[in-house]
Amino acid sequence: MPAAKPRGAEQREARLAYGMIAPAVATILLIALFPLSWTVWESLHLHDLRMPWLGQPFIGLENYLEVLGDGRFWGAMAHTLWFAAASVSLELVLGCVLALAMNRTFRGRALVRASILIPWAIPTVVGALVWRFMFEGLEGWLTDDLRAWVPVILADTWKETPFVALLLLAGLQGIDPSLYEAARIDGASPWRQFRYVTLPLLVPAILVALIFRTMNAFRVFDLIYVLTSGGPGTATEPISLYTFNSLMHNLRFGYGSALSVLVFLVTFALALGYIRLLGRGLTETRQ
Amino acid sequence: MVRLGFQEDGVNRKLGWCATSWLALLCTTGCGSEAVGGPTTVTVSGSVLGKEGEILRRQLERFDREHPEIRVEMRPTPDAADLRHQLYVQWLNARASDPDILQVDAIWTPEFAAAGWILPLDRYAPDTAAFFPVTIQANRWQGELFALPWFVDVGMLYWRTDLFDRAPRTWEELDRDARRAIAGGTPRYGLVLQGARYEGLITVFLEYLGGFGGHILEGGRVTVHHAPGVRALTTMRNQFRDGIVPARALTWHEEEPRFAFQNGEAAFMRNWPYAVSQMQDGARSRVAGKFAVAPMPAAPGGRPTAAFGGAQLAINGFSPEADAAWLVIDYLTRPEQMLERAKLVGQFPTRTAVFDDPALAEALAIPPAQARAIVEAAVPRPVTPVYTQLSEILQIQLHRALSRQAEPEAALAAAAREMQALLDRVGLGRRQVAGR
Repeated sequence: MPAAKPRGAEQREARLAYGMIAPAVATILLIALFPLSWTVWESLHLHDLRMPWLGQPFIGLENYLEVLGDGRFWGAMAHTLWFAAASVSLELVLGCVLALAMNRTFRGRALVRASILIPWAIPTVVGALVWRFMFEGLEGWLTDDLRAWVPVILADTWKETPFVALLLLAGLQGIDPSLYEAARIDGASPWRQFRYVTLPLLVPAILVALIFRTMNAFRVFDLIYVLTSGGPGTATEPISLYTFNSLMHNLRFGYGSALSVLVFLVTFALALGYIRLLGRGLTETRQ
Repeated sequence: MVRLGFQEDGVNRKLGWCATSWLALLCTTGCGSEAVGGPTTVTVSGSVLGKEGEILRRQLERFDREHPEIRVEMRPTPDAADLRHQLYVQWLNARASDPDILQVDAIWTPEFAAAGWILPLDRYAPDTAAFFPVTIQANRWQGELFALPWFVDVGMLYWRTDLFDRAPRTWEELDRDARRAIAGGTPRYGLVLQGARYEGLITVFLEYLGGFGGHILEGGRVTVHHAPGVRALTTMRNQFRDGIVPARALTWHEEEPRFAFQNGEAAFMRNWPYAVSQMQDGARSRVAGKFAVAPMPAAPGGRPTAAFGGAQLAINGFSPEADAAWLVIDYLTRPEQMLERAKLVGQFPTRTAVFDDPALAEALAIPPAQARAIVEAAVPRPVTPVYTQLSEILQIQLHRALSRQAEPEAALAAAAREMQALLDRVGLGRRQVAGR
C-alpha cells in the first residue's frame, strides 16, 4: 500500500487535474452551451431581419405564445411524430429480421454483411434524389397529401434499416449459445426460443437502436427537403423544415429560435425518457 | 458511451444555424479585406454556369482592360434562387464585405434594402429614365433606388407551330387546342408549367390572375381571394383535373417543363425567355424551328399578363469598395453588354432604347416589338420586405388547392386571411406597401 501523500501534494495534483480538463470543459461550453443559451436568449426577442427598424426588443414569451397558436407548427409536429413512429417501427422489425438472418452461418456471410450496409453508406441527399426520380415517374405519388408519405417512409426505412440490423446483430452475437442448447434440450420450439431467449436478451440492443433512430427521425430534414420539400402544400413538412424556413427563408430569427428551442425541449425529453428506460432495461436483464 | 452520444445529439440539434452564422462571422472578421497597394479588387456574385458564366467572364475581362486600376473576380453562387437567397442572407447577416456586387431577384430588393444590406444607388445618379418603368419600380424602396435592372425575365406561352396555326388567346381556346392535340397520345401533355411549391408557382399564378383581371394586393389590401382570383385558380386546377396539365407538374420547376417541351412531349409550355436559345439547338431539341412564343392567354375582363422577373445588380452595404463596384455595375448594364447578353443567352434588355436597335431583332427569337410589349405589360410582385413570407403563405394555399387538399375559395380565403394579418402586424398594411 503506497504511503499517503502529504496534503499539499494532493492539492497540487487536484489543481493539475482541473487544469488539464479545463480546455475540454471550455470547448464544450464554447461549442455547446454558448450557442444554446444564445438561441434561448434570441427566442425571447423580436428579431426580424427584414424589419431592422423595429430593433430587437425583449418580448418575453411572446414568440412562444405565437408558436402555440400556430396551426402550421402543430401540423409539423404531428407530421414529425407520425414519421418517427412509422419509420422507426418498420426499421426495427426489418432490422431484426435481417439481423437474425445474418446471424446464421452460411456461405458468403461476410459479403452479405458488408453489402447490406450500402444504403446506409450513401449520403442521404443522394439517396433521396434517387427516390425522388423513381417516384416522380409515377403519376400522383409525390402530389397526393397521403401517398407522398410512402416514398418518404420507404426511403428512410431503406436507408436506416442496415444501421438497426447491425446494432441488433452485435446484440445477437453477445448471447451465450449454451442458452439455446438448454432450450433445445427442454424441447422449446424455435418461436419459443426467440420469444423467451433471444428477445429478452436483445432488449438492451433494441433500446439503443430505438434511441438513436427516434432521435434522428425526429430531426429529419435533408431526406424530406430533397424528396418532397414538405409538399404537397405542407402535407409532409416536419418541424425541422418549418424551423429552417422561418429562419433562413423568412428571416424571423426570434420566432425561428423559439421553434428551435421547443424542438430541443421535445428531443431532450425523449432522450431523458429513453435513458431512464435504458437504465431500467439494463438492470432488469442483469438480474 | 450512449449517454455521451445523447448529449452530443441534443446539443448539436438546435444550433445548426447558430453555429453557421457564428462561423461565418468569425470568417468575415478573420479574413476581411485588408488595405493593400495595387489594384482595387471587386467581387461579383451571381450565375456563373454555362453560357451565362462565359458571357459574364468575357464582359468582366473587357472591363478590366478599360479599368486597369480595378480587378474584378467572380464568386460563384447557386443557380437556384432560393439557395442563393439563403447564402446571401448568411453572408449579409454576418456583415460580410465580400462579394461587393450581388445579383439579386427583384423580390429581394426591398427586403435587403430594409435590412440595410444593400446601398442606395441614387448618389451615383443612374439614368433611370432609360429603363422600363416596371424594372425601376420593383427596385425602389421608400423612394430610393437600391438595385439596377440587369436583364428582364417575363413569363411567356411557348406553342408548337407544327400542331397549331396560331397561339390561343383565351384559356378556353388553349384548353380546346390542348385536348385536341393530346387526344392521339402524342404529345403526351397539353400544357406544362412550374407547379412546385416555390416562387415560380406564384409567377405562373400571377399570370392566370392578371388574365382574369385580378390582383394579389390592391392599395395595401389583399384581394387575391376575390372573384377573379377564385376563377383563375379554378381554371388552373381544372386543367390539372382534366389532364391538360400533368399532375406531376406539381413538382416541376423551370427545367422539367423545358425538357418535356424540348422532347416534343408537350403542346404548350409556360416558361421564361431563357428556354428559347436552348430549344433552338437542333442537335439537342426535337422542336427546333417548330415553336413560337406568345403572351399568356387571358379571359374576358382581364388582359394577357406576364410576371416580371429577372436579375438586378446591387452593391453590398458592407463593401469598402462601393465606388469601384458602381463602375462595374454601370459597365455591365450598358446597352452593348445587354445586346450581347440577348444574343448569347436570349435574356431581354432592361433599357428601352436597346429594343430600337436592329441588331436585337437578330438576337431574340421573337420580334423585338412583341418582346417589348410583353415587358411593358409585365406585372411586378408586391414590393414589401416581407414578400418572401407573403409568397410562402400563398404558395402553400395554391399548392393545397391544386393538389386537391382544399377547394379554391377556401384556400384563397385562408391565404388572404394570413397575408392580411401579416401585413397588419408588421405595419405595412395600407400605408407603406407599394405595387399592387
